[in-house]
Amino acid sequence: MDRQIKTLQDKNSYLDLHRQERVTLLEVLDRALDKGVVISGDIVISVADVDLVYLGLKVLLSSVETMERLRGAPMAGAQEEPT
Amino acid sequence: MTNRIIETDSQEAFIEEIEKVQDVLPKRIDANPKNVEKGLAKLVLTLVELIRKLLEKQAMRRIEGGSLSEEEIEQMGETLLKLENKMQELKEIFGLKDEELNLNLGPLGDLM
Amino acid sequence: MKIYAYGIIDFHNKLEEPIEGLEEKGIYNVSYRDIGVTVSELNEETREITDTCILEHEKVVERLMINFTVLPMRFLTVFNTQEDLLSMVEFYYEDFKNNLQRLFNKVEFGMKVIWPADTIKKRIIDVYHKTKHNISVSIDSPAKTFVKEKFEKHIIDKEFQEEANRCIAVVDDYFNKIAVEKKLKRLQTESLLLNASYLVDKDRQNEFKQAFEQLKNAPSDLKFLFSGPWPCYNFITLTKKPSSVDYFNTEDMLNRLLAQQGFAQERNSV
Repeated sequence: MDRQIKTLQDKNSYLDLHRQERVTLLEVLDRALDKGVVISGDIVISVADVDLVYLGLKVLLSSVETMERLRGAPMAGAQEEPT
Repeated sequence: MTNRIIETDSQEAFIEEIEKVQDVLPKRIDANPKNVEKGLAKLVLTLVELIRKLLEKQAMRRIEGGSLSEEEIEQMGETLLKLENKMQELKEIFGLKDEELNLNLGPLGDLM
Repeated sequence: MKIYAYGIIDFHNKLEEPIEGLEEKGIYNVSYRDIGVTVSELNEETREITDTCILEHEKVVERLMINFTVLPMRFLTVFNTQEDLLSMVEFYYEDFKNNLQRLFNKVEFGMKVIWPADTIKKRIIDVYHKTKHNISVSIDSPAKTFVKEKFEKHIIDKEFQEEANRCIAVVDDYFNKIAVEKKLKRLQTESLLLNASYLVDKDRQNEFKQAFEQLKNAPSDLKFLFSGPWPCYNFITLTKKPSSVDYFNTEDMLNRLLAQQGFAQERNSV
């Protein structure tokens, strides 16, 4: 029973942004990613810092299992394809 | 459609620094059972490293305070040097880098 | 239907103006006593959300800020059911009320400062080499060399920290009298001298902006990034903590640390 919603950092589209847009995004991330009303506990099914996964994909992943498998794969610039 | 302003004359510089802080590349979670020992070693060595750094810091403070003789400084230097070399050995044995020996304490930030 | 929460507001009625949130769904207000949680629904099949959605999240919060006092939720706070959502609000009700009162009519401004760390370090190193120190060395040895190097690093770092504090105090001084509260993060990197958040009364916004103009125009070798007004992300204080997130519970902390290292959490006790 998967309850988690994962956050994807799409590095490719991030690099496409103009400098000003990047600054804006970084400033928003600096606040909304782990500030504000920060609550945890069993009833919150998703929090932003859980399982931040870096993938160069634009394809929607359909299952949590695929993500778990891909987490062990090498990163940093490599283009990953779901198997 | 917002009245919020974001103003700077050095976009590149701030992008560079903020990205460092936000750690844009995620930490890799190693779920391989073969690396169970590595996980434990990391934990233990992090704590050892913390103590070693605290010892070094304390030693420096005492030197600053001028309360040590030249002999005492020499002895202390030998001990600290041995500790650092030993730590280096252990890191190599377990294939751990300096950045890996740290603990995230949630709202308290990083241990070191 | 999963429920995505944007913020807590000091209003428990229906929202009159339509606001669009994530997945182009409409925002609505869920009442609890005299406050509300602004939410929208997420598709059941949603498994991942890209981080640029954070801008949509932010847009909603800032839209709400115009008419209400908002306690912005952290990005990606999602609930399975409305009952779950309401039990959360019930749990934190006192905290929410206190924060809504404290933050009424206030906004947050952010300022980041970059300083020439390398130049400063060079200057400190120069001064160090010209000064006499407590390590007099009559006979050299590997141990003594080691200590000398460590000591030099120690003093330089100490000076660096003190110089940072002096610089931060000067910069902070421009805003001290205008801001109600502040949160200062020092030296997040060597070059990022300061990451400051200031809580400012809405009526004193312009005064605050003017203070920044003064600071910007003052001669210095500092670089500034100024942003705002923001919702008060950095000034929310929650006193209640559910026991499962007790960072000072050693057993729990150890489990979390082991989980970070890739151990499955099979038992509750270590």
